[in-house]
Amino acid sequence: MEIYQLLPKTNCKKCGKSTCMAFAVALLSWEVAVEDCPPLKDVEFKNNYEKLLEMVAPVEGSTETGLIVHEDKCFGCGNCVVACPVNVANDPHGAGIGRAPTNDKLILRVEDGIVRAFNIQECRRFGENRILCNLCIITCPTEAIEFV
Amino acid sequence: MVNCLNKNYYVCTGCALLCDDIEVEVSGDHITKIKTVCRKGFSRIGGCIEPMPCTSDGKSVDITTAIKDAASILMNADNPLIFGLGNSTSGAQKQAIELAKRIGAVIDDSSSFCQGPIIEAILHEKIHTCTLDDVRNRADVIVYWGADPSNSHPRHLSMHSYFPRGEERQHGWEDDRTAIAIDVRRSHTAKICGNRFYQIPLHTDAFLIEALIDALSGKVPKVPFEYDIKKILELANVLKKAQFGVIFAGLGVVYSIGDMGTMTRLMDKLNEVSNFHLIPMMGHYNMRGFNQNLFEATGYFNRVKFEKRENGFDVKHGVDYSIMEVLNTKKTDAALIIGSDPMSCLPRSTAEYLSEIPLVSIGPCENFTSRVAKVTIPSALSGVECGGSAVRMDGVKVTFEPMIKTARLSDEEILKRIMEAI
Amino acid sequence: MELGKFLTAPEYGFVIVTYRDIFQSAALEKSRFGEEYRKLSAVIKMDSGDIKKLGVVEGDTVVVKNACGKVVVRVEESGYDVPHQGVAYMPNSPWSNSLVSADTGGTGVPKYKMIKVMVSNARGEAITGMM
Repeated sequence: MEIYQLLPKTNCKKCGKSTCMAFAVALLSWEVAVEDCPPLKDVEFKNNYEKLLEMVAPVEGSTETGLIVHEDKCFGCGNCVVACPVNVANDPHGAGIGRAPTNDKLILRVEDGIVRAFNIQECRRFGENRILCNLCIITCPTEAIEFV
Repeated sequence: MVNCLNKNYYVCTGCALLCDDIEVEVSGDHITKIKTVCRKGFSRIGGCIEPMPCTSDGKSVDITTAIKDAASILMNADNPLIFGLGNSTSGAQKQAIELAKRIGAVIDDSSSFCQGPIIEAILHEKIHTCTLDDVRNRADVIVYWGADPSNSHPRHLSMHSYFPRGEERQHGWEDDRTAIAIDVRRSHTAKICGNRFYQIPLHTDAFLIEALIDALSGKVPKVPFEYDIKKILELANVLKKAQFGVIFAGLGVVYSIGDMGTMTRLMDKLNEVSNFHLIPMMGHYNMRGFNQNLFEATGYFNRVKFEKRENGFDVKHGVDYSIMEVLNTKKTDAALIIGSDPMSCLPRSTAEYLSEIPLVSIGPCENFTSRVAKVTIPSALSGVECGGSAVRMDGVKVTFEPMIKTARLSDEEILKRIMEAI
Repeated sequence: MELGKFLTAPEYGFVIVTYRDIFQSAALEKSRFGEEYRKLSAVIKMDSGDIKKLGVVEGDTVVVKNACGKVVVRVEESGYDVPHQGVAYMPNSPWSNSLVSADTGGTGVPKYKMIKVMVSNARGEAITGMM
């Protein structure tokens, strides 16, 4: 809602969304970026534009749920990949049974020996019904995953 | 979205888990991305920055000359040693066994100073074992004993032993499985086991085994060190209630108990009161393959000497033919080292003798041993540059294809050519 | 401090247990002769009380020796929650193997996880190089 207040509220559709509210929701789930709203770049919205950038800017290196992978600590063991309930639900015959992902719907997957985050809007710590899930943290041997 | 049926999976030869679900993106002769691989496997597949040179007497030579010189070193030796092969395919191992027969060599591998006793017990069917797939599908009580797979076999817990859903373990690890660590320190694996970590003093594993046997027999357990007996009773109780239990035995417990007699008695007791299996935490990707291939050829799994006779050879076996003893007693007068670095992994005072004898070193990368070798022969990195088959830590045979092409010969081809030159 | 230079650093007895470290294993695959492998191998992990007793701080070097050999390695705090005075940990490497006895007591298996050593402050001496 705070985000919506800062938008032009003109429903100009230049961003490709039908309303500014729709744009705000898309912004929240990182589907679009602040830059995708052309009117915001006008001088009159300069302050709003900067505020919005600040609001949606993640902590350095973190995703929008605040998930940070400390790559230097990660073993690439994949414990988090297999323990993540969303991964299990989205890929029961891949990640769910400890094997390579069979689709693109995973939140966490291991590449080049290190875990990486994708589709973070699917994380249970995100969205309206968010819960403080910590299964990827407690299954990590090295505290390589952190939420900030 | 990628169709999983169209995916081409490779096998990682970074450790004896032989993970067979590795995806690789290749551009020309280069691997650009490796998916589902752990840090250790990534590093192995990436290869080294100091490839093995092709040399003889310190000079660069072509492969044919190197092979000819290697053959002549081995032919002229009275007591040659063939060592290594844990990082070679089964094909190369069988070829090395044939070569050992031909030249009357001692043949041994690193199981000689690590997992040997367990493999012996398993190959002689003294200990009940199972596969990692059984573990994933059925195990409810998992014991990591003197083992830290998080560091040595990184995907062990996520792919097989703790976190995956299995046929009879559909509810996830929190409800379906109990993971236990027994160790002298809180390893990364022990950390994951939380309050099911049993820390014991150095070299007291045998006492804990005796105490567990007592507890499982309904007696009051005792140990000669300060320990909460209630914890031992509690542990025994968890083991007893297991529907499908498995012990992963690492070097910590193997070195501590020496021979497997005590562990065999614990396994017998566990199988009286519940259902337990044991899997050795083999290190190199095909160490178990070497043990099984030699076992099939000779009835012994390591420490073998083929002693030449007028008609063929006698097979001798025992500690006298272990790499440690043949080097300590300086009986070896030439050695062929394949995919291994004894100068780095043996006690230095034992290994130094290798620099006094003519040595042939075959492998993909330069190492401490190759630097003192008379002949060095570069070989393809198996699993990456050449295919073949290997035996996983649990005894399952795995075949694999190369990920990229190379001009380098495989260990098997090199050994075959050395044999032909003899 | 100045006077200390002329005194022999006191030695204390330890038992070393070797272990595997994934970062060191990964460095090994890349280069056995590289700085990274040396940095991750020439390490001894000790109890914080023992580190104090030796008069060193984390990152300092210590001399580790016995009848089989001598190496200078870097000290790290183990971080284990249970104190382990007198027991130290080293990753399995040519550095730890310099200290392992050739004598296997007739078993053919060296005592890789039971290495008895004396440890003292190396007073700035550099880490031992391997080849």
